[in-house]
Amino acid sequence: MSASPRRPAGMRGPDKLVFLLALVPYLLEQRVVDVSEAAAHFGVGEEEIRDAVRLIATSGLPGATGTYQPNDLFDIDWDSFEEDDVIVIVHHVAIDDAPRLSAREAAALIAGLQYLSASPENAGSASLAALTEKLRAGASAAPSRLAVAEEAADASLAVVRRAVASGRQLEFDYLNARGERRRRRVDPLRIASLGADWYLQAFDHLREEVRNFRIDRMSGLEVADEPIADHSDRPIPETLFQASDTDLEVVVDVAPATLPLLADYLADSTTTEVDGRLRVTLRLAHVHGLKRLVAGLPGLVTVVAPEEARAVVAEWAEAGLAGYPDDDPGASSAPADG
Amino acid sequence: MIADVASSKRSGEPRIPVEDRLFSLVLALLATETGLLKSEILSTVRGYAERYDDRGGNANLERQFERDKDEIRDLGIPLETIESPDRPGDNQALRYRIPKGDYDLPVDVRFTPDELALLGLAAEVWREASLSSDSQRALTKLRSLGIEPREPVIGYAPRLRVREAAFEPIRQALDKRQRVRFRYLKPGEREPRLRTVEPHAVVLHEGRWHLHGRDVDAGAPRTFLLSRIVGDVQSLAGRPFDPPPADVQDRALADLRALRQANIADLAVTAGSDAEVRLGKRAVEADDDAGVIRLHYTDAAVFADELASYGPEVRVLSPSTLRDAVRERLAAVAATHRPGADR
Repeated sequence: MSASPRRPAGMRGPDKLVFLLALVPYLLEQRVVDVSEAAAHFGVGEEEIRDAVRLIATSGLPGATGTYQPNDLFDIDWDSFEEDDVIVIVHHVAIDDAPRLSAREAAALIAGLQYLSASPENAGSASLAALTEKLRAGASAAPSRLAVAEEAADASLAVVRRAVASGRQLEFDYLNARGERRRRRVDPLRIASLGADWYLQAFDHLREEVRNFRIDRMSGLEVADEPIADHSDRPIPETLFQASDTDLEVVVDVAPATLPLLADYLADSTTTEVDGRLRVTLRLAHVHGLKRLVAGLPGLVTVVAPEEARAVVAEWAEAGLAGYPDDDPGASSAPADG
Repeated sequence: MIADVASSKRSGEPRIPVEDRLFSLVLALLATETGLLKSEILSTVRGYAERYDDRGGNANLERQFERDKDEIRDLGIPLETIESPDRPGDNQALRYRIPKGDYDLPVDVRFTPDELALLGLAAEVWREASLSSDSQRALTKLRSLGIEPREPVIGYAPRLRVREAAFEPIRQALDKRQRVRFRYLKPGEREPRLRTVEPHAVVLHEGRWHLHGRDVDAGAPRTFLLSRIVGDVQSLAGRPFDPPPADVQDRALADLRALRQANIADLAVTAGSDAEVRLGKRAVEADDDAGVIRLHYTDAAVFADELASYGPEVRVLSPSTLRDAVRERLAAVAATHRPGADR
């Protein structure tokens, strides 16, 4: 569908249709409802509610002649609406009930629930299964075949979750990417995840700022008795990768298909093509993160500059290779390019 | 009234907004028992009627109607087409309607505030992926029930990301039961090969998206890693293929689990290293004194990539195929980063 200039930014036409189809049964069920309350319930602006109500109030059935006679239209109590900002539908046509979910909508929620089942308090939860059944029953066609495997949850996650839920401080041994191990004491604020990786976002007593900790790098976890302090003045970063002034900028060549895997590290959106590969600049906290990143994408990413960064990656790979001294090097062929 | 419509057309008044036309169409089709003819819809329903010409030549409008029908069906609204018993095969005699019983959410599908809170969290999981708009629409529909969800779970922000470009076209094809064609680079092969697949399920296993389906050329079921699809996914026109068994996604996951269970690696890990801490958490057996851990893996090439990232912190003891794969990777990284290497 071509984009239409009449459409306000944000919701597309079909999204607006769903909103209208959902708003009608809500208004009928509530009978009398403030615009502000409806806006809060749907998580939209008050003006969006008013626009939708005006549209609904002038909509209806065409009749045989397409003349949209008053009796075939919705009607509202216009005085309440215009004077008190209160919505009352006094006449309705054609719809009175919530619409069913589409196969894709149900599938998206079901797969989301399956992913949530990885969290300790939901693991194997009976309510998830019952909820999934309800979503299936509420879909107009069999939900799309989309599934998320239940992963065995890291035992540390359960401890972290307990600390977050009870608002108590947490202590653990933490090994950072540089290989330094330290006992940390933190005020846990939020558990975040990205796919298979789980993080704790917490106020670090040592550095006195909010940091992200990989839960799989924690050991020796202990929930302390002390409650956490009030950190409501500190925003919890939405992104799990925080840029800082001390970051290192590294130029790399990357296979085009691999670029999305580096999205979190891109310093800017500039790319130039060099021999079928893309040259981009990455921003990383330090070279120790870089060597792990590049070695984990073998043949797909090559560091171009600076020279020290290349050297660190080369050393890392050589050191790893030294672990296989007796293997016949002739047997190894360089993997195909890209 | 008809005169009004004609004059508004001539004066070039702004068209009726999309949502107004779609809403009017849904209302009209829900209200009819017997169904409406296309000509009736185009000449009477708001959003079409203003542009309808009774002398004919409504091809643009008809195309608009076709697109609108698709949009409405995409939203899960059961828009039916009924053939005329007297004039089968005659497109002009087709009738359209939305049966109310199939449109309404069944009365026994109701949700508690706790369940709605959980569904809100499930929708949030997708906030960085293409499924975000589907899950947000689902929540909008469920809000029509007027139930306030329990306060959202605080301190909890789980999230799934889809970074494979192949995901969306394959998911679309999955719903429409359309064959897809793509180039697939199998580990160990130098060049990607063209594959034609009937997509049956898309599953996430160990943080990676897989397509399970019937490989048309091989005539057998196959599972593909989405990250190994090279270039565009082409959706092939034609009749939808037969629906796969209802539990095909569960079977695909069970197969992957079985594969994982069958693959066992013994690894030597350096004490106190990142590899010891992180791989150690996934170990099924560990000999702490010897610094050896045993764990399962699904795909040797994927696991070898991961092990290579640990550099000297981990050494593969067995199996030899995995050992070779890791060594080759490290050799390739070393070769391209050595001083004087061609960059």
